[in-house]
Amino acid sequence: MLRWLFRGLGQGRITTGYPREGAPSDDGFSGRILVLDAIGADRDLAQVCPTGAISVDPEGRVALDRGRCILCGECVRTAPTRFAFAARHETAARSRSALVVPREGIDEEEPARATLGELAPALRRSIHVRHIDCGSDGAEEWEIQALWNPYYDIQRLGFFLTPAPRHADVLLVTGGVTAPMRTPLERTWQVMPEPKALVAVGTDACSGGLAADGELVAGGVDQVLPVDVYVPGSPPSPIAILHGLMLAVGLLTERPVAA
Amino acid sequence: MSSLAPATRRVRDGLPDHLGATRESGPDPEVRLRVTPLAFERAAHLLRTAGARFITLFLADTPEPSLVGAFALRGALVMLRAPTAGADPVTYGSLSQNWPATCWAEQELVERFGVRPVGFSATRALTRPDADLIERHVHGADAFTIPYGPVRSGVFEAIQFQIETGGETVTSLQTRLFFKHRGLERRFVGMTPDRAVHVAERVAGIASVAYASAFSQAVERALDVTPTPNAERWRAVYAELERMAGHLDVIAKEAETTALYVGLARFQILKEQVTRLKARLTGSRFARGVIVPGGVRFEGRMGLDDLCRALDALEHDLVRDRRLFVQTASMTDRLIGAGFLSRDLVEEYAAVGPLARGSGVSTDARHERPYGDYRRLGLQVVTHREGDAMARINVRFGELFESLRILRQAIDHLRRNDHDLASPLPPAASGAAFGWSEAPQGELVVWAEVRDGLVHRVHLASPSLRNWALFDHAFPADVLTDFAFIEHSFGLTPAGADR
Repeated sequence: MLRWLFRGLGQGRITTGYPREGAPSDDGFSGRILVLDAIGADRDLAQVCPTGAISVDPEGRVALDRGRCILCGECVRTAPTRFAFAARHETAARSRSALVVPREGIDEEEPARATLGELAPALRRSIHVRHIDCGSDGAEEWEIQALWNPYYDIQRLGFFLTPAPRHADVLLVTGGVTAPMRTPLERTWQVMPEPKALVAVGTDACSGGLAADGELVAGGVDQVLPVDVYVPGSPPSPIAILHGLMLAVGLLTERPVAA
Repeated sequence: MSSLAPATRRVRDGLPDHLGATRESGPDPEVRLRVTPLAFERAAHLLRTAGARFITLFLADTPEPSLVGAFALRGALVMLRAPTAGADPVTYGSLSQNWPATCWAEQELVERFGVRPVGFSATRALTRPDADLIERHVHGADAFTIPYGPVRSGVFEAIQFQIETGGETVTSLQTRLFFKHRGLERRFVGMTPDRAVHVAERVAGIASVAYASAFSQAVERALDVTPTPNAERWRAVYAELERMAGHLDVIAKEAETTALYVGLARFQILKEQVTRLKARLTGSRFARGVIVPGGVRFEGRMGLDDLCRALDALEHDLVRDRRLFVQTASMTDRLIGAGFLSRDLVEEYAAVGPLARGSGVSTDARHERPYGDYRRLGLQVVTHREGDAMARINVRFGELFESLRILRQAIDHLRRNDHDLASPLPPAASGAAFGWSEAPQGELVVWAEVRDGLVHRVHLASPSLRNWALFDHAFPADVLTDFAFIEHSFGLTPAGADR
């Protein structure tokens, strides 16, 4: 055991300074697609996206719904002057509509639910998190687990994983809700004490993603339960999930999403 | 395609007469045989007697509606096809009554596609799980049933285990899958192959590269396209990095289960480093968006020297962490003897991957039917004979070092390389073929049919589904507290099994 101790000490400190410091930007991770040019597009451009995240209105204005985007890059390859990958982790938003870019003007602030957000000061340094899988591809689970590894170590921010939904403050939901998982999801949410927050992790949870027609009870978790924070991505990086968790407990205010 | 090994050629030449089947043309090393539905059961059992390993059973639509069985035999992939033209329901003699390996594949055909094998029976539904249904098989004063899942403690995928116990010893165990069936095989249909690969990457996220390359390979073989050697090398690089991340994840979870927290942290650090290498090479932490039928979309975005240095550092740490792990008695005591699987049982259930190799069965798709760059790379198949959880972990440790060796070879080849990315697919072409790869969980086989340039049908034979059938038998004398150790030593993913 002593040898393990020395082995552990020998590593030195590797934990990210996020959120005190910015997210690492040199790790090559492409977390979102930017719309560089939204004007004067052809209607057919929408066909490029396999999940229907891109829409073009009659005036030729492009909109990208990040809640549907699986980061496959088909649009970047087809129209490199309009779309580009960006090496930014934070993608989370408090409302579904805030995931659609570019946004026109300033969104009216969505009425923040009178839940954890307001009570966050009392709960700070002790947020208990529970996870439920409702049909993910398994990658989101790896990224959530990674939050507790020494690189991210979210216990330093006061987040703890709890096995019991009755002790949980935040529910992380992955997957677009398959039929057999609907009842377990509803029950898990029901037994969680107020105040509580629900975070949809991954594009599948935000919109249903790539599942076939008719296999999901609904396209996305918000068709079953109220979602407080959406974290799109296929899968979102650990930093993106951490950003979403902090939005959920009101530790951060939503940063404007770059167009 | 490469020339066949002598043993494989004998299979190809001798099998049709032996089974009373007609041989059809197919890309090597596929051996395609046609029989009548009436003769299907007999031919399949003759294959079994000849030593074939069952892979999967499904309905194909090319060249005509057919029932297809796939088997691995001495380097050949034997496709046994029985035309079912117009038959509704499709009928044949059931395979599963005395062949455990075929049970779940046949039951899926019955439940999801309405096939009616004569003599088939099942005790419970496979593809329509009910979390509230508790079945008791063990009765007695202290016997009780624990329905564990689909909402589990910790961050795990949805699956349910019904564990029956008298208090300590696990008397009976039932694995329930398909809580997260997403119908992904149907999702492929109608897409062009270069777009459909995005679906393949999202079947099982932790094996994205394995699924993307097996699907791409199936399309390439179906349309007679040879991917560029450069692309094959990059695919091998991503596949080995993915294998390393998967194996490190399994080892970290075993350390967590023993509350060996420094060990947990060490293996998590290594896993994160491998994951970041994938991100630096491809922009995706799961190496998505790079593999495409015909080749790759771009070359790795990291210098080969940097990559080599990163691998050297990883190996340096891995040597020390592995030594500490296997010398920690509190760790190995929980693994040695836990979840024993005999070689006979593993062969009876046709298990694959590190699970089979931990019971002395030397099966590895990279070695049995070398594909892509593995035809040029030297590969040592790591096996252990003990059959317990420790053996399965030791196989993974061995494969971590083997992966590092393969990676260095592939990088060496990449240095004196052309930079061709992809061979173009012929437009509006048609064809059908198998593709395969060795995922971290085991051999993955994909059947893909392409018609007029669009994907027409896909069948995925996932290693997770095939290996999970063995889990119910992995508790010969084990107690409840061994459960997590044994589960992690299997290292499977419900997303891949449920599709």
